[in-house]
Amino acid sequence: MSETWQGPIEKIDDYRWRIPRSYKPGMRVPGIIYADEKLLKDIRHDKAAEQVANVAFLPGIVNASLAMPDIHWGFGFPIGGVAATDIENGGVISPGGVGYDINCGVRLLKTNFQYDEIKDKIKDLVYKLFSDVPSGVGSKGDIRVSVKEEKEILTKGAGWAVEKGYGSQEDLEYTEERGAISGADPAAVSERAYERGKAQSGTLGSGNHFLEIQVIDQLYDSKACDSLGLDLGQITIMIHSGSRGLGYQVCDDYARSMIRCLDKYNINVPDRQLACAPVESGEGKDYLGAMKCAANYAWANRQCLMHLLRQSFEKIFSMSWQKMGMSLIYDVAHNIAKLEKYSIDGKEKLLCVHRKGATRAFGPGHPALPEKYKKIGQPVIIPGDMGRNSYLLTGTQKAMEETFGSACHGAGRLKSRTAAARSINADMLLKELESKGIIIKASGRGTIVEEAPAAYKNVNDVVDVVHNAGIAKRVCRMRPLGVIKG
Amino acid sequence: MKNYEIIEHTADIGIRVRAKSLNFIFINLARAMFDIIAQKQNRRLIAQKKIKIKVSAETREELLVNWLNDILSLSCAKQLVFHDFKIDQLSDSGITSTALGSSMKNYKVNTEIKAATYHQLKIERVKSGWKAEVIFDV
Repeated sequence: MSETWQGPIEKIDDYRWRIPRSYKPGMRVPGIIYADEKLLKDIRHDKAAEQVANVAFLPGIVNASLAMPDIHWGFGFPIGGVAATDIENGGVISPGGVGYDINCGVRLLKTNFQYDEIKDKIKDLVYKLFSDVPSGVGSKGDIRVSVKEEKEILTKGAGWAVEKGYGSQEDLEYTEERGAISGADPAAVSERAYERGKAQSGTLGSGNHFLEIQVIDQLYDSKACDSLGLDLGQITIMIHSGSRGLGYQVCDDYARSMIRCLDKYNINVPDRQLACAPVESGEGKDYLGAMKCAANYAWANRQCLMHLLRQSFEKIFSMSWQKMGMSLIYDVAHNIAKLEKYSIDGKEKLLCVHRKGATRAFGPGHPALPEKYKKIGQPVIIPGDMGRNSYLLTGTQKAMEETFGSACHGAGRLKSRTAAARSINADMLLKELESKGIIIKASGRGTIVEEAPAAYKNVNDVVDVVHNAGIAKRVCRMRPLGVIKG
Repeated sequence: MKNYEIIEHTADIGIRVRAKSLNFIFINLARAMFDIIAQKQNRRLIAQKKIKIKVSAETREELLVNWLNDILSLSCAKQLVFHDFKIDQLSDSGITSTALGSSMKNYKVNTEIKAATYHQLKIERVKSGWKAEVIFDV
C-alpha cells in the first residue's frame, strides 16, 4: 500500500481530474475523479484510481467512470465509484459495482430538542440505545421473523416494518424508493442468503455502522433549512446500516456465478471482480431481482432500527416520538444499482447506474422526490467520522448532468484498520473525544480504534469538493454528541 | 504464535500465509480468518459441530475464494465459529473438507468479515513450499 499510483491524471479544473482513455487499451470511456489537489494526493496512495480505469472497460458504460472525493480501494469497483451503463447497448450490471453490503445507507431524523435541553441526558441516551439496539458482529435482533415474513420483507421493504407498527406511512414518503424498490424477486435469493438474513432484522451490524446523536452547528442554506425544519443547535440522529448477512450472500452468490458470464458474453475486463452480465440477460435479471430483495431488506432494517431508537428516546423522556418531533428527514442508499433515465447526447436513455459508496443526489423537480423536496432537491446525507462532522446537502441539476445524480457518501478511509489499531490508543482516544463532548459506546475496543477519526479523510474536505464542484449543495453541518458503534 | 501475517489494505484486511503443502495453505488461511473474527472464551473448547464442505471451481484461485466464502457463510448462517479444518481431498478444481467448530456463544466476536475476495489474490510456489495472500472485505 505504500507505493503511490503513478498513472496519468489530467487536471480538468480545481475539482475534476481525468484519467485518459489512452491509459489502458480497452477503456471505453475516460475516468473522472472529483477531488482537490490535497485529496488527490491521498487518492494516489492506494490503487483506487487504477480501479476507476478498470471500471471504464465495462460494456455499455456511458460518459465516464466516475469517482467521488471519498474514493478508496474496494472490491472490483473503488468505493466512491459511479458507473452507468446503457441497457439498450449491451450495458452490464456488476455485483462488484454494488458491493457486499447491498443498500448500505443512512437515514437522518430530526427532533424538537435543542442541545441545551438534552445535553445532560446524552450519556443516558447513549447507554440506553446501546442496550436496546442490537449491535456488533452477527448480532441478532429482537424483531424475529418467520421464513414467510422474511420473503415479505424482501418485497415490501420498509413498508413491512410500518405494517408491523414500526413507524408511520410518513416515514416511507421520506425514504428513497419509498423503502421498497419494485421488481424484487425472492426466487432469485439463495437458501443460504435467507438463512444468513434470518434474525438480523433490526440489527445494526459492526464496523463502520453506527447510530449517532448530533447537534446542528452550522447552517449554510437557510432557505433549505427552513423548508426542512432545521435550525442551529437542533438535535438530529443518524443511522448507518445495511442488508447484513443477506446482502453479503447475494453479492457472493452472483459475483461467483457472473465470472462464467465473462466468457459467455465475451466481456473483457481487467479484474475478475468486475464480473458482470448484460442487464437484459437472464443472469443480469436474476442478480437485479436478488439485489433489489437485499436492498428492500436493508430499508426494512433501517426502519426497524429507527423504531428501536424512537422507543429508547420515549423511555428516557417519557414522551411519544411524535411529541418529540422525531420525524425522518430522508433515507438514502449508498451501495446500489438502479435503472434510471438520463439524457445522453440529446436522447433519453435507460441506464443502469451503479453507486458503490456514492449517494443518489437528485436535483430539484425530479419526479422521484417527495413533494416537500421538489423545490430544494433531494436531501443527501453524508456521515463523517465519530470525532468530526456530518453533513446534510441537497442534490443539484449539475449532478443530473454530470454524475448521474450522484454525490459522495462519507469521509472515506485513509488508514487501514491495522495501521489505525497500531497507532491509536483506545483509552486516549475515548478521553480525547469525551473532552470534545462526544460519548462513544461500542461492542469492542477494536472497533473504536479502527473507526478513529485519524483513520478517515476529513469529511469537511470531501464535502467542500462536492459543494464546490456543484454536484451537491451544503445545507447544514452536524457534530457528534453520542455514538453507538457496532 | 500466529502462523499468518496481516497485509495492509485501506478498507479491508489481508492475510499472508506460508505452508509446506497446498492443503495447509487452505487450512492456515481458514484458521487465520477465524483468528481475526473471534477469540475463544473457554480454553478447553471442544469441537461440537463437524460440517462437511465440498466445493468445486474452474481454477485453484476460484476454489480457494469459494471455499473460504462457503465457510464464512456457514459460520454466519449456523452461528458457529470454526477453529479447525480437515481436508480429505484437494485438487485444482475441487475440495472435500470438514470444518470443526462450536457455537458463537463460546467466543468473543471481534470483527465481521463479509467475504474473501479476488483482490490481489496470490497462491504461489516458493522455495519452502507455498505462499498465499488473500484480501477480505470487512
